[in-house]
Amino acid sequence: MNTAGRIAGLVAVLLAAAVAFAQQQDEPPSRLSGLLGQDADESFEKALTPRPFSFPADHGPHPSFRNEWWYFTGNLDDEDGRRFGFELTIFRFALTPSMPESPSSWRSNQIYIAHLAVTDAERDDFHVAQRYSRGALGLAGAQAEPFRVWLEDWEIAASAGDGWRLIARDANFGVDLELEALRPPSLNGEDGLSQKSAEPGNASYYYSITRLATNGILTIDDKEYEVSGLSWLDREWSSSALSSDQVGWDWFALQLSDGTDLMFYQLRGRDGMPDEYSAGTLVAIDSQVSHLTSAEVQVRVTDQWQSDDGGLYPSGWTLTVPRSGLELDIRPIVADQELYTTVRYWEGAVDVSGTRNGQPLTGRGYVELTGYAE
Amino acid sequence: MIPVTHRASLSYLLRHPWQLLLALLGVAIGVAVIVAVDLANSSARKAFLLSMDAVTGEATHQIIGGPAGVDENVYTELRVRHGIRSIAPVVEGTVFADERRLSLLGIDLFAEGELRSFTTDASAGDDDSGVEALFRSLLTEPGAVVASASTVERLGIMIGDPVEIIAEGRAHSATLVAVFEDAGGIDDLLVVDISTAQIWLGRIGRLSRIDARLTDDEAVERLEEVLPNGNRLLNAAARTRTTADLSNAFMTNLTAMSLLALLVGLFLIFNSMSFSVLQRRPLIGVFRALGFTRRQLLTMLMLEAAFIGAVAALLGVLLGIVLGEQLLALVSRSINDLYFRVSVTSVDVELLTVLKGFAAGIGAALLASAVPAIEATSYEPRLAMTRSSLERRARSALPLLAIAGVATMVGSAAVLAGSGSNLVAGLAAVFMLILGFALCVPLFVRVAADLLANFAGRLAGTTARMAISGIAAGLSRTAVAIVALAVAVSATIGVSVMVDSFRSSVGDWLEQTLQADIYVGVDRGSMDLELVQDISALDGIVEVSTSRRAWLESEAGQTQLAAIRMAPGSYAGTEILDADPAEVWPAWERGDVVLVSEPYGFHSSVGPGDVILLPTDQGDREFCVAATFQSYDVNSSAVMMSRATYDRHFADDGVDAIGLYLAPDVDADTMISAIDTLGAGRQTLRIASNVSIRRISLEIFDQTFIITDVLYWIAMGVAFIGILSAMLALLLERIREFATLRALGMTPAQVGGLISAQTAVIGLLSGVAAIPLGAAMAWVLIKVINRRAFGWQIDMVVTADVLVVAIGFAVLSALLAGIYPALRAARLHPAAAMREE
Repeated sequence: MNTAGRIAGLVAVLLAAAVAFAQQQDEPPSRLSGLLGQDADESFEKALTPRPFSFPADHGPHPSFRNEWWYFTGNLDDEDGRRFGFELTIFRFALTPSMPESPSSWRSNQIYIAHLAVTDAERDDFHVAQRYSRGALGLAGAQAEPFRVWLEDWEIAASAGDGWRLIARDANFGVDLELEALRPPSLNGEDGLSQKSAEPGNASYYYSITRLATNGILTIDDKEYEVSGLSWLDREWSSSALSSDQVGWDWFALQLSDGTDLMFYQLRGRDGMPDEYSAGTLVAIDSQVSHLTSAEVQVRVTDQWQSDDGGLYPSGWTLTVPRSGLELDIRPIVADQELYTTVRYWEGAVDVSGTRNGQPLTGRGYVELTGYAE
Repeated sequence: MIPVTHRASLSYLLRHPWQLLLALLGVAIGVAVIVAVDLANSSARKAFLLSMDAVTGEATHQIIGGPAGVDENVYTELRVRHGIRSIAPVVEGTVFADERRLSLLGIDLFAEGELRSFTTDASAGDDDSGVEALFRSLLTEPGAVVASASTVERLGIMIGDPVEIIAEGRAHSATLVAVFEDAGGIDDLLVVDISTAQIWLGRIGRLSRIDARLTDDEAVERLEEVLPNGNRLLNAAARTRTTADLSNAFMTNLTAMSLLALLVGLFLIFNSMSFSVLQRRPLIGVFRALGFTRRQLLTMLMLEAAFIGAVAALLGVLLGIVLGEQLLALVSRSINDLYFRVSVTSVDVELLTVLKGFAAGIGAALLASAVPAIEATSYEPRLAMTRSSLERRARSALPLLAIAGVATMVGSAAVLAGSGSNLVAGLAAVFMLILGFALCVPLFVRVAADLLANFAGRLAGTTARMAISGIAAGLSRTAVAIVALAVAVSATIGVSVMVDSFRSSVGDWLEQTLQADIYVGVDRGSMDLELVQDISALDGIVEVSTSRRAWLESEAGQTQLAAIRMAPGSYAGTEILDADPAEVWPAWERGDVVLVSEPYGFHSSVGPGDVILLPTDQGDREFCVAATFQSYDVNSSAVMMSRATYDRHFADDGVDAIGLYLAPDVDADTMISAIDTLGAGRQTLRIASNVSIRRISLEIFDQTFIITDVLYWIAMGVAFIGILSAMLALLLERIREFATLRALGMTPAQVGGLISAQTAVIGLLSGVAAIPLGAAMAWVLIKVINRRAFGWQIDMVVTADVLVVAIGFAVLSALLAGIYPALRAARLHPAAAMREE
C-alpha cells in the first residue's frame, strides 16, 4: 500500500510545480500537508465499503475520488546479467469533486503527475525524473478502454494481447517495456477495501498485480540495454489518507523464488511505533490471496543509510511471518534510491534471502520508505 | 588664493543677479527639455521592454500562428507526440477593469516552471494551504485572477474581492485569488489560467503563441521540423525589438523637438553670455592694460561660462526630471494609442540621461560664450574700452555672417537631397536650415531697421526714428534677441503649418473613408458573429461591410492586414493613388491581389505590379500589389485584402467591425439605439455614426499632437526670456542715454514709449523674419520629415491666420518683455543716473 509515500510523491511534484511558480525554494513541505489529508472535501467519493471490482474497467480512472495511481516497479537484468530496477508511476489528483463545465478544453479539475526512476546496480547509480500536467486537452489523462494512462509522452497502455506497454523517457534515461500479467489482480485489505485508520472513509480501494513478466529496452546515457525480469503493479484510489497521528510508512513488495509474493505496509505513528492498521497480503503460487494483519508480521531494521539531505533511512530489514514460516533478510541493491523531489522519499529495488520453514529462499522486490526526510 | 580674474568674474555675476538668473534660466530650460524628452522616451521604451521580459520570461523563441493564433492541439502534439517540454502556451489580450486597460496573460501553471517566474506575495495565502488554494482557484474557478501588488492597489481590491472584467465587450465576474510582489514590467497585468483567458478573449481552441526555451540550434531545428504549416518559430528577443521599433519614428520626432528647444535656449545663452562679456568690455580693457594676457582673460570668461553652464545644467536636470514625468504621461498615451501597450508609472532616471543633460548644458554655455569671449579679448586694450568700435566691428561682420548663413542653407538643401529616406539626416537638415537662416537675420535687421528708421522719422518724428535706429545701432546685442525670437516664432509657424496641413489632409481622408452611415465594433476585440447577423437583418439597413484587422508576422517583421468585405458603397471610401480603380477593384475581389497603404508602400518600396510575400496559414504566399491607397491610419491596414481572399488563406472567421449603409429615410440615431438594444446583454458595442467617428478621430489626432504643442510653448517661453534679457541688457547699457534724454526734457512716458516702440519693432522684425523660415521649415517637416517618418504625402496648407498669429505673438511677447525695462527707464532719476559713471 504505500499511500503515504505516494502522497508524499504527489505532494512533492505538485509542490515543485508550485515552487517553480512561486520561486520560493525554501517553502517548507509542511505547508502542503493539508493538501491531501484531513481536510479533504467531504463531497469527494469515499472508500467506505467493499465494492465489486471488474476488469478491465477498474484499470481505468475513478475521477470522483480525490487521488489515484498506477504504480509499476520492477527488477530487471540485461543479457549480461547486469542488474536494474525501475519505477514508473502516474498519479491522478482531483482538485475538486466534479469536473467544472467550460467551453475551454483547458479547464480541468484533474492533475496528473508522474515519476520515473531507474536503478543501475552495477554503477551504483539512480536516475529520477518527474512530470506534471493538467488532465486536459489530451496532455494527460486516463481511460479504461482501450486502456491508456499518459502524461505527455510518458505512457502506460494496453498492448497486443492482454499485456501492457510502458514508455517513458527523460533526457538521459528511459524505459520502453512490455509487461505480461502472470497473475490475476489480487485484492488487498477487505475485498479490496484497505482501511488506513479507525476513521470511516480513511481507506482506499487497492489491488495489485504482483507478477508481470517484463521485457524491453532500458536506456541510460544513450546506451540501450535489452532487459527482462518481473514487475509489480499497485493500483489504488481514495479520497482521504493519512490520519493526523501517522507520519509515514515502510512498504514491501517482494517476489519470492518459491513462486509466492508478499506485500506488507507498516504505518508509523508519531511515536515511531508501528500502527495497528498496518497490513499485508500473501499471494500463493496459485494466486490465492491471504491477508496479513499487523500482529502477524515483524519487521526489524538491520541497517541504516544517511541521505545527503540529512534523512536517516532504514536500509536493511529482517521480516518474519511466523504464520507462514517466513524469515526474510532484505537489502537494497543500491543504498541511494531516494527520489530527490521537494518532499523526499525512498523507493528502491531490493534483494531478498531467507528461509521458509527452514528451506532456503531468495527473492527480489521493491521497498518504499516515507516520512524519513522532510 | 583666488586669482583676481576669478574674483572679478564672481563679483560681476553677483552684482548682476538678473543677468545671471536669465543666463541660468536659458540653459536650464533647454537642458530640462532635453532631459525630459530623453527620460520620457527611454522610460516608455524601457517599460515596454521590461513588461515584454516579464511576459516572455526565459523564452528564447515563440511559436506564432496566423491571425487566429496557434491551434491549441499543436501544443498537445508537441508535448505528447514529440516530447518537447520546454514550451508553454500563452493566451494574451487586453481587458478592462474599472475602466482601466489591463493586459491579460493566460498561462498553464504546469508549463510555467521553465519559462516565467512571478513571486507571490506572502499575503497571498492566509495559511499553509495558500499555494494549493492558488492552484485550485486558478485551475478550477472560471474567474480567478492574480495581479501585482500595485495593480491591485490601483484597482482598489483585496484578495477574495470580486472584480468585473470587460473583455471583447462582454462582462465577466472575476475574483482576485493572489497577489504578486511588485517587479519590473508586471504592472497592469492580470494573470489567469489559460482556460479563463480563452473564454474571456473569445479564443476557444486557440493560443496567442507558444513560448519556447531552446538552448541550442539542434533544438530549434527539431522544433521547426515538427511544426505544422502556418505556424512559425520566431526569436523572442528579435520579436520584442521589432515591436519596440514600431515607435522609433515617433520618438525620433520627439527628440528633434527637444533639440529645437535647446537650440532656442542656445540663442538665449549666447545672448546672456555675450551681453555679460560686452558689458565688461571696459573691465577687460583695464585688465589687458594691467598686463593680463589674452589667454588669462579668455580662461576667466570660459571658466565663468562653464560654471554657469554647470549650475544651470544641474537646475535643468532637476527641472527635466519633473517635466519628464508630465511628458511621460503624454508620451505613453500617444504610444498606447499608436503602437503598443505600455504601462509606465514612473520616470526612470538614468545616469546617461543626466550626463547628456550636463554635457548639453555646459557645452551650450561654452559654445555660446566662446564667440563673444574670443571677440572681446581680441581687441587692443584701448579699443576694448570703447563701444563704437564694437558696433562698427559687429556691423562689418554682418555680410560675412549672412554669406555663411546662405552657405549653411545650401548645405542643408544638399543634405536633404542626398540623404534618401534617412530620418535623422532630415532632422539634421532642419537644424542646418535654422542655423543658416539665423546667420542671415542680423543683416536683414540692419537693412530693415535703416529703412524703417527713415520711414518712421518722416512719419512720426525724431523719437520714433531714434527708437528704430537704436535697434540697428545696438545690433551686437539686439540681433541675438531677434534671432532667438525669430527662430522660436518660425518654429511655431513651421509646426503649426505642418499640423494644420496634416489635420486637413486627415480630415479630407476621413471624409472620404467613412462611407458607411454607422460603424459598429467592440473595444479591443471581435464581434459576436450572431450579433452581426442580427444587426445586418435590421430593417432599414441596406448594405453591410465588414472588416477584420490582423497582424501577420514572420521573420521579416510584422505587417498589419485589413480584410474587408466591401459593400457596394464602400469602394469610393478608398482612394487609389496610382492605378485605375475600375481595373483594380475587380482583380482585388477575385484573386490573390492586395492593395498596400501609402506608408507601407513608401517604407517597403512596394508599388503596383510588385509581388509581396505574406505568411498565411499554409505558409508564405505571394500576393500581387494592385495599387497604393491613401491612409493616415498608423494603426492599421498596411495591406488591404478582400475578405474572400482572406478566407482562402486564413482560418479565421472573426469580424472586428461592421459598416452599415442605411436606407435613405432611416435616421442614424434611431438605428443606433436599435442596435444598442439588440446588443444589450450580449456584447457591449461601440456604435458611432460616421460624423461622430470623424469628430473623435480628429480629437485623437489633436491629442496626439498635444506633445508638439507643449514643446513649442516651451520654445516660445525660452524665446520670451531671451527678449526680456536682451531688452534688460539694452536698458542697463543705455541708462545714461535715457537719463540724458530725460534731462533734455523727455517725459517718463516718452522714454517708456521709446523703449516700447523699440521692442515692438524688434518683435515685428522677428515675426517678419520668421515667416520665410517658418514656411521653409513647414515644407521640410511635411514633405521630408513626415514622409520619412510615416510615409505620408500631405498637401501643404498655409493659412493666413497662422502667419498673423505668429507675428502678433512675436510683437506681443516683445512688448511684454519690454514692459519692465520701459518702466525702469521711465522711473529713472536723470541726475542720479548720469552721476553713476
